[in-house]
Amino acid sequence: MKDSIFLAWRYLRHHRAKTLLLVLSLSVFLGLPLVMRAMSRATQESLLSRAEATPLLLGKKGSSLDLVVEALYFQLKGAEPIAEADVDAINATELALGIPIRTGLTARGFPLVGTSLDYFPFRGLHIAEGRGLAMMGECVLGAGAARGLAIGPGDALLTSPSTLFDLAGVYPLKLHVVGVLEPTYGPDDEAVFVDVKTAWVAEGLGHGHQDLKDAGPDLVLRRNEGSVTANAKLPQYNEITESNVDSFHFHGDASGYPVTAAIVVPHDEKSGILLRGRYVDAPTRQLVRPAEVVDSLNKQIFRFERILEIVVWTVGLATAVMFVLVMVLSWRLRADELRTMTRLGCSRWKAAQIMGSEIVIMVGASVLLAGVFGIVMAQYGETWLQNLILRGS
Amino acid sequence: MLGYIRQAVISVRNVRFQYPEGGFSLEVAHLTVEAGTRAAAIGPSGSGKTTLLNLISGIERPSLGEVSTAGVRVDRLSAAARRSFRITTIGFVFQEFLLLEYLDVLDNILYPYRLHTELRMNASVQARARELASDLGLGGLLDRSPSELSQGERQRVAIARALVTAPKLILADEPTGNLDPATKQQALDLLFAQCEARSTTLLMVTHDHGLLDQFAQIVDVEALGSASV
Repeated sequence: MKDSIFLAWRYLRHHRAKTLLLVLSLSVFLGLPLVMRAMSRATQESLLSRAEATPLLLGKKGSSLDLVVEALYFQLKGAEPIAEADVDAINATELALGIPIRTGLTARGFPLVGTSLDYFPFRGLHIAEGRGLAMMGECVLGAGAARGLAIGPGDALLTSPSTLFDLAGVYPLKLHVVGVLEPTYGPDDEAVFVDVKTAWVAEGLGHGHQDLKDAGPDLVLRRNEGSVTANAKLPQYNEITESNVDSFHFHGDASGYPVTAAIVVPHDEKSGILLRGRYVDAPTRQLVRPAEVVDSLNKQIFRFERILEIVVWTVGLATAVMFVLVMVLSWRLRADELRTMTRLGCSRWKAAQIMGSEIVIMVGASVLLAGVFGIVMAQYGETWLQNLILRGS
Repeated sequence: MLGYIRQAVISVRNVRFQYPEGGFSLEVAHLTVEAGTRAAAIGPSGSGKTTLLNLISGIERPSLGEVSTAGVRVDRLSAAARRSFRITTIGFVFQEFLLLEYLDVLDNILYPYRLHTELRMNASVQARARELASDLGLGGLLDRSPSELSQGERQRVAIARALVTAPKLILADEPTGNLDPATKQQALDLLFAQCEARSTTLLMVTHDHGLLDQFAQIVDVEALGSASV
């Protein structure tokens, strides 16, 4: 047997291009269906577990899937916002805790999530390095975002401008990184968390500038009794610091300011049912159970997975036929070698053993490669597939 | 009589053979080649030279008659026993060399040891293969692929492969047919020298009548019996 393996190995090594092609084809045939199924299952479970951990979600009436995807997984879907007043209204019922979620901006490619301090204990997020949010202008990074940006507490991070070519638009806000969260292997890892008011400042809904009471005439356009109008020369702050934080303010009623959604955490089951009842006929708002929404998404994924499996098996069958064809042709081309074997006294069994060893080595290498492919995909594929599903949903 | 049989490495008597699918058939009345003899088998194409070698080596089995090779009645052996007998007793040299491109020179020489469990590969076998290669002028080419060798060198590897199992008989089927005249004589000289050094009997099929004066026995296959298609 040792000699058969030796000869088989030498043959395969000599014809390495053909061998590599066959091994790759076979490993795809063997690995892809299993990896796809495992990844799909893991992704569905991961999506569902986060949705199940979020009892209710309040948002603007419209696509419940877009609302859930944006508020839970921070994938920007352009969900219409509700108002801060809606969050206040939830809290005022004393039936549940309302946690605002404001998305829409990014910081160097990572989603900027404005929320309240309640979000962190609700999601079970713990600070791994630095401290939590204490004042406006600060941010806490998810573990993945910190790793991706290669920054940590003490560093600064600029928000990305929403409109790059609009010079009169909102300028980037410089955020101070004060903490990094422990990894959770979910969407929170890839987010940059700020206080919801900081998110509004980053959006240009609030701003800070020099106190106009002391402003010189070169900065003032008009000074009336009770109001001062500054001209365009008045410097605006693009960074919130301890010395200028008091100058930041919001014009108008902050209760009308936008939030993408509110996570609603009922105090008990009955409160949740009561709250859901109140929003059943709400003309412009919806209170959804994210688990139901994600479950419906998973059913679609499952249907797609079935179709994909048929495609993969068809390709696999073609690969198997190709493999058999290549082996048969290869043995035909080796007729001289087989004749030599026979004339020298080699038995048919031994010849079959040599050929069989070639197949076993190739199949073994394919299984090994498929295993490595599976491990790599298990490591990185779930996030990739999750993003693919959520972006495409 | 017994003493005579012991000394005859090849003994063929009243043999009749026909390929199973019909067509070619061969009859041989009597042939004897004694041990240590350098014999040449001649005859026109289709006279049955290669078939005769196949009968002597046990690749084919006659329907009638006796074939005794190295004292063994190969016509009485089973297919498996004939294979064992062949690989341990006979060395083959082919016109097309039939070397394996995926093995280097040393592994090509040792190839028979990879094909049969009765031949045990060990350090002394490897040493013998190296020594043989050195004797045949292949000492510096052991790690080369056959594709890197000249025709003459390839034939020398084939000769070394035939000799490595220390066979009692070498059957060579037009081993110089693909070589130019200078290389041809060089290869023959090496083959003859190696057979002589090991007292190995050689039966070589050839079409080249210019070589016949170098053989002690000439076997005219056409004159042995009859061949028909």
